[in-house]
Amino acid sequence: MITAVGLTKRYGPKVAVDDLSFEVRPGVVTGFLGPNGAGKSTTMRLMLDLHRGGGETRFDGRRYRDVPRPMREIGAVLEAKAFHPTRSARNHLLMLAAANGIGSARVDEVLALVGLSDVAGGRPKGFSLGMSQRLGLACALLGDPHTLVLDEPANGLDPHGIQWLRDVLKSLAAQGRTVFVSSHLLAEMAQMADELVVIGRGRLIDSGPVSDFVGRFTRTTVLVRSPEASRLADLLADDGATVDSLSDGSLVVGGADAAAVGELAASYGVVLHQLVTRTASLEEAFLSATGAAEEYRGVSTHGSAA
Amino acid sequence: MSDALAFEAVRVRTIRSTYWLVGLALLLGALVAVALALATRDEPVDAALVAVGVTGGSQFSPLPFAAVLVGILGVFATGHEFRHGTVQPSLLALPRRSALVAAKLVVVALVGAGAAVAGLALNWVVTVVSRGAVVSVPDGEILLGYVVFVVLWGWLGAALALLFRNIPGALVVLLVVPLVVEPLISALSLVPAMDWLRDIVPYLPFSAGTSLVTVVDVGEATEAAGGTAALGRWAGGLVFAGAVGAVLAASWVLFERRDA
Repeated sequence: MITAVGLTKRYGPKVAVDDLSFEVRPGVVTGFLGPNGAGKSTTMRLMLDLHRGGGETRFDGRRYRDVPRPMREIGAVLEAKAFHPTRSARNHLLMLAAANGIGSARVDEVLALVGLSDVAGGRPKGFSLGMSQRLGLACALLGDPHTLVLDEPANGLDPHGIQWLRDVLKSLAAQGRTVFVSSHLLAEMAQMADELVVIGRGRLIDSGPVSDFVGRFTRTTVLVRSPEASRLADLLADDGATVDSLSDGSLVVGGADAAAVGELAASYGVVLHQLVTRTASLEEAFLSATGAAEEYRGVSTHGSAA
Repeated sequence: MSDALAFEAVRVRTIRSTYWLVGLALLLGALVAVALALATRDEPVDAALVAVGVTGGSQFSPLPFAAVLVGILGVFATGHEFRHGTVQPSLLALPRRSALVAAKLVVVALVGAGAAVAGLALNWVVTVVSRGAVVSVPDGEILLGYVVFVVLWGWLGAALALLFRNIPGALVVLLVVPLVVEPLISALSLVPAMDWLRDIVPYLPFSAGTSLVTVVDVGEATEAAGGTAALGRWAGGLVFAGAVGAVLAASWVLFERRDA
């Protein structure tokens, strides 16, 4: 169980993490979601006492720095390529293991687990991002911890790697461990996580089961095509629905279901060519939830060329 | 603390730079000893010259080989953590930052002292072999001063890289101050209009530190040339140690407070 209370980090006048509180429960994979620059990495560093800031995080009641031999209880990886380029992967792990009283047998075990046994003795200088991520995960798993905190562990993994990571995290959670894993990609999170903590601009936007998040931030709409679109739009608006016209002439109706739209059209004798219920995707839910909180936004070039 | 020492022991053993830095320190010191012994082998044994050879000529170089190379080893001890981003896994393994810094200083001191003692022994052996005759070992005071000198350089390197959180900055200070800045101040103190600098010259940290490896008293010669005599061996050593301690204290406090 992780309990974060009032996490705050300022860089001069800029507030990177703003009074952020949340809980991460054991037994499920909890995704930590937010757009780039939302403060996910900063939050994780605050949690692990790497960054100095306000608030506190307790892992089963204790601050990270107060846990003796913390790798045996909390496994974390923040940067994929955090190793010396000429120190072999095995030696890198042996060094960290020595700091937490972990034997060399466990080092070989985690190397096999992440699939790096064959390259464990060579220089990691040429490791791909995916291999580096695997080494990072090996570090996190070294002490067989009951809590995992992973920052963007899927970054750089190929589809097979992502599936492998998902299986590993799911099975660790199924063993009753607490798994907290960040990503800026909702689709990736949707495959991996059971619960979500969503932030934008350093503030909490939502937390809870993935399905609740999707339900809360997705709006089901109805797509209608009609040769009498403008008349239908007026009728729907009079009926209290919200109507957006798309460039191809079709209408996107909110606040009324397909049956209501169909019945309204029938009662006024409006011909329909198409009537479709649309449920927003997870990505749309994410964009709708974090849209106002996006840190770095490019200027859209659509239509500006004129 | 023992966990941190175990960590540091593996760290220092598993990078190549440890071996080439120590190896180079031994090799270069021995070359000085051999050159000096061969050049003077037909002359009667001069204890002071033997001591110059055994200490690798340290007194007469602004950048004594063993000191500089162990200094670089110190720079790498803390600087690699920032250069390669390993400070995060290191602190995740050892969240008590002071324990990590203390362990690094202990390991730098042990490796530095080991390299210094091995260098002294090697230099004495090559002197004996080169001369083809047994010579007396220099005074204990000289040998101890040399070991302390090398260890202080190692600590200074570690402190500078911890302060700057980068390797090039630490190396620049470690090399430019003794090679350029201090000689310049000493030279300027000879200009009559700037003779007030003469009060400062003995306290320039690196120059003062070199007192630790004094084997030939050049005080009179220096004064005759218009310069300022250096402090005594241990007084000079104390000035150098004070400077190292100040940089170390600042870097330690900042490392505790800064984001990792």
